Amino acid sequence: MDLSVNGQTRTVADADGDPSMPLLWVLRDVLNLTGTKFGCGVAACGACTVHLDGQAVRSCVTPLASAAGKPVRTIEALGTADQPHALQKAWVTHQVPQCGYCQSGMLMAAADLLAKNRDPSDAAIDAAITNICRCGTYPRIREAIKTAAKALRGETGSPRARSPA
Amino acid sequence: MKRRSMLLLGAGAAGALVVGWGLLPPRGRQGGADTLPVATGEIGLNGWIKITADGKVLLAMHRSEMGQGVHTTLAMLVAEELDVSLAKVRLIEAGRDTLYGNVAGFVAALPLHPADMEPGRETQGVKAGRWIVAKAARELGINMTGGSSSVADAWDVLRLAGATARAQLLGAASLQWRLPLAELVVADGVISHPSGPTGHYGEFAKAAAVTPASSVAVKEAKDWKLIGKPLPRIDLVAKTNGSAGFGIDVRLPGMLYAAMRHCPMLGGNPGRVDGDAAMKLPGVERVVRLGPYAGSTAGVAVVGRSSWHAKQGAQALDIEWRAPPAGTLDSRQIAAGLEATARHAASTQGGFPFYAAGDVQAASAAAARRIEAVYHAPYLAHAAMEPINCTAQVKDGKVEVWAPTQLPGMALALAARTAGVSEDAVTLHVTYLGGGFGRRLDIDFIGQAVRIALETNGRPVQLLWSREEDITHDFYRPSGAAVMQASIDAQGAITGLAITSAGDAVTPRWMERGLPALSGPIDLPDKTASEGLFDLPYAIANQRIAHVATRSGVPVGFWRSVGHSHNAFFSECFIDELAFETQKDPVAFRLSLLADMPRHAAVLKLAADKAGWGKPLPAGRARGVALHESFGSIVAEVVEVSLAEGRPVVHRVVCAADVGIVVNPGIVAQQMESAVIFGLSAALHGRIDIVGGVVQQTNFPNHPVLKLADAPRVIETHLIASTNPPGGVGEPGTPPVAPAVANALFVLTGKRMRGLPLV
Repeated sequence: MDLSVNGQTRTVADADGDPSMPLLWVLRDVLNLTGTKFGCGVAACGACTVHLDGQAVRSCVTPLASAAGKPVRTIEALGTADQPHALQKAWVTHQVPQCGYCQSGMLMAAADLLAKNRDPSDAAIDAAITNICRCGTYPRIREAIKTAAKALRGETGSPRARSPA
Repeated sequence: MKRRSMLLLGAGAAGALVVGWGLLPPRGRQGGADTLPVATGEIGLNGWIKITADGKVLLAMHRSEMGQGVHTTLAMLVAEELDVSLAKVRLIEAGRDTLYGNVAGFVAALPLHPADMEPGRETQGVKAGRWIVAKAARELGINMTGGSSSVADAWDVLRLAGATARAQLLGAASLQWRLPLAELVVADGVISHPSGPTGHYGEFAKAAAVTPASSVAVKEAKDWKLIGKPLPRIDLVAKTNGSAGFGIDVRLPGMLYAAMRHCPMLGGNPGRVDGDAAMKLPGVERVVRLGPYAGSTAGVAVVGRSSWHAKQGAQALDIEWRAPPAGTLDSRQIAAGLEATARHAASTQGGFPFYAAGDVQAASAAAARRIEAVYHAPYLAHAAMEPINCTAQVKDGKVEVWAPTQLPGMALALAARTAGVSEDAVTLHVTYLGGGFGRRLDIDFIGQAVRIALETNGRPVQLLWSREEDITHDFYRPSGAAVMQASIDAQGAITGLAITSAGDAVTPRWMERGLPALSGPIDLPDKTASEGLFDLPYAIANQRIAHVATRSGVPVGFWRSVGHSHNAFFSECFIDELAFETQKDPVAFRLSLLADMPRHAAVLKLAADKAGWGKPLPAGRARGVALHESFGSIVAEVVEVSLAEGRPVVHRVVCAADVGIVVNPGIVAQQMESAVIFGLSAALHGRIDIVGGVVQQTNFPNHPVLKLADAPRVIETHLIASTNPPGGVGEPGTPPVAPAVANALFVLTGKRMRGLPLV
C-alpha cells in the first residue's frame, strides 16, 4: 500500500500493512517517523495527533486503510530547520516544552486550529487543544498559540515572552 | 582534609610563573584526565569535562532530563566557570563511575527539623548527621535523578570541575606563551593576552591535561555571567520538531517490539497460559512468561513485528490469572484500617515520633479548647505521558539497554543480574524521559525488557506497556490518614500540636525492590512518611508528630514531592482550621507563628502581597493560601477559586519561593507552573481505587487529569533573592496547591474538605 507522508510516497509492505493497523504504528514502527507519540491508544490524550488530508486526527485510532490516498503530515514536516512553523518559533520563544513528549501532538493540534482560525479566542483554544500534558505547559501553550497567530496574521511587534521571574 | 601545594617554576620574559596545585579532598568527585573515554582529538581534563580539538566543551551528563531542565541548568554551571557560552557545551553520556552518584539527595533523607538547619544556624547534630550520610552516599555512588536534588548536588562539584579545567587551560596557555597567568583573559572559550596571542581551548587542551591547576576558586556571585539568567533551554528545539529521542523512539536494525500483560491482581501470577491464538496472528513471534522484576507483578509478554502486532498478540492470549497467596487488596479497607490505626496511635501516644517538643499531653490537659480533625489521601498513579518502556539487546554475552530511567546504575545492575552477566558486560543509555515524577525511580520494566531480550536470538527488543498497564501497574503514592489535634489556651494561642499519621513507608519498600542487599528484616523509620508533618516551621511549643508505618501490600513508590504531597494537605489545611477557630486571618495567623523563621515569613508575605491578599475579589471568588517547605525550598501559594456547577475552578495561582540561589529563573518559573498543575490534577481528580486486587482506573477517560481548558489562566512565580546554595525546584511547588485550593473552598462553601480529591 502506498501512503503519502510529508509530501513523499512511502510504500508500506503488505506484510506490515494490515489495513486495520492504526496509522500511528505505521508511522512509528514501519516508517520510523518517531516524532508522533503514543500516549493512550484510545484517542484521549492527543500525543499521536497528525494531519490527515489537512485535518488533525488522532492517529492511534485511525486505521491505515482510511489514510490511503490522503496526504499525511507529521511533526517532522511541520516546518524545517531553516523555516520553522510560526508555532515552533513561538514554542521556543515562550519556552513551552518541559519533558516534551506531548508537544508534537500539541503543535499539530495547534497548527490545525490556526489553519482554520487566525485569531483564536481563549474559548477557541480551550475547545481545540484537548491534548494532555502532565508537565503542565498549558498556560505557555495558550500564550504561544496567540503569539504564533499574531505572526501568521502578519502583525508586527516582537512577541512578548513570559516574564520568567 | 589534606592540602598540599606544588610550585612550578618557569622562567620567561615576564618573569617567573607560579602554578600551585590544590589537591582535592580524598574521595572528591572530580575524577581524573582518564576517567572519561576519549575519541580522537578529545582531551579529558577531569571526570566531567573533555575538550575537543575545535575548542568545544564536552560535559558528562549524569542526570536524567525528564522535563525539569536539568541538562540546561547543569551545563550552565560548567559554562559559567569555563567562561564559555552555553552553545559551546555539548552533553555526552556519563559512565558508571561512582563520582556521578547523588550525595545531596540521600543527605536529604535525614529527618531533620527546619529550626535546626536554617542556613547559618545549623546545629552540630545536623552538621554531623549530614557529614556521615554524605560519606556513605559518596561510597555507594548511586546515580539517582530525584528528590529535586540535582542542582544542590552538582552546585559545588560541577563549578569546581569547570573552574579547575579553566585554570588548567589558562595555565597551559601561560606556560606556552610565557606570559603571566593573571594577565590572560577568556571570552567564550578563547584565551588571549593584551599583547596579541590568542587561541581557543582546543589548542591548549593537551597541555592542560598535564598542567596542574593553579589555586582554584569558583567565581564570586558578582562575576556570574550566566547563573541567574533565564537562558533558553538547550533541549527545546528538538522538542518542537519531533527529533528529541525518548525511550520509545529508539530504533535499531532488526528490532522487535514487545507488549505486556501483567496479572490484573496486584502481586498475582499467571497460571496456565495459552498462546496458540496469539501465535497464529500475523507478526506475532513469541510469548514470554515474566516473573516479578524489582517489585513488578508477574505477567506475560508477547513479541511481535511492531508494537501494534505485539499488542494484538497480547490481547489474544488466554491466561488463567492467580491471586496472590496473601489475598487481594482493597483500597477502601486499607483506608479504613489506616484511620483506625492512626486514631488508636493518637490515643496511645503510639507511632514513631519524628519530632517531639515540650509536653503535648500537658498542653492538652491545660487547654481551654481542643480541636481535632482526621484527614485522608488516596493512592495516586504517576501517569507520565511516555508510557513505561525499555529497549534491550542481549548478544554474544553483552547486554545493551536504552532506558528512560531516573536510576541508571541500579537499572544496569538489574540488567546484569537478569541476563546473568557481569556489570562490565552491560552498557546502558539514558534517553530523554517523557516525564518521570518518581515512576522512573523504579526499574521493574528494565528487568522485564532484558528478560524478553534473552529470548529474541540477539535481536533488540523494545518493550512498551499500554497506558492501561501503566496505570494499573504503577508504584503508587501511598494512601494516608492523619489525626490532627491542637490545644488552644484561653487567649487563643496554639499551645500544642499532635499529629499521628498512618500509611505505608515508601523508602524501605523501594530499597527491597532495587537494593535488596541493603534491606534488612526491620524497616528503619522512613522520613518520607512524615515529611510535611514533623518538620513544620511554626512555633508551637508542645508538639508530638508521629507516624505508624503500615505494610498494605500495595506497591508504593515515590510520587512528585513524596510524603509532602499529602502531608502538606493535612498540615496546611489544619493550620487554616486553627486560624479560623481562633478568628485570625490565615496569613496573619501563620506569620504570628513564624517569628523565628524569617525566610518562611518572607516567602509568605511576598505571595500574599503579589496576590493582593485581603483585597476585594469578584463575587463568587475566594482566595486560599498555603506555605510549605520541601526539598530545601520554601514555597507559598495563593490561589483564586470559584465554583462552576459545584466544581472548583482555579483562576489564578501566585507562587512565591525561596529556592536559594536561582541558577535559571526561567526554568524555576516553568517548574513552579508544572508543579502547580501536577498538584491540581491530583487535588481535583487524582485517585486510584483497588478492588479485589485490581486497580479500577485504567486510562485517561476514567483517570482524568487537568487539561488546558481547566488549567489556571495565570500562574505567577516570584522568587526571593538569596545567597544560600540552591535548593530543589522540581517538586516544592506541588505540596501547597491542594491545601490552598481546599482553604479557598472553605471560604466559598463553609465546608472543610478533609479528603482528596476535592471533588
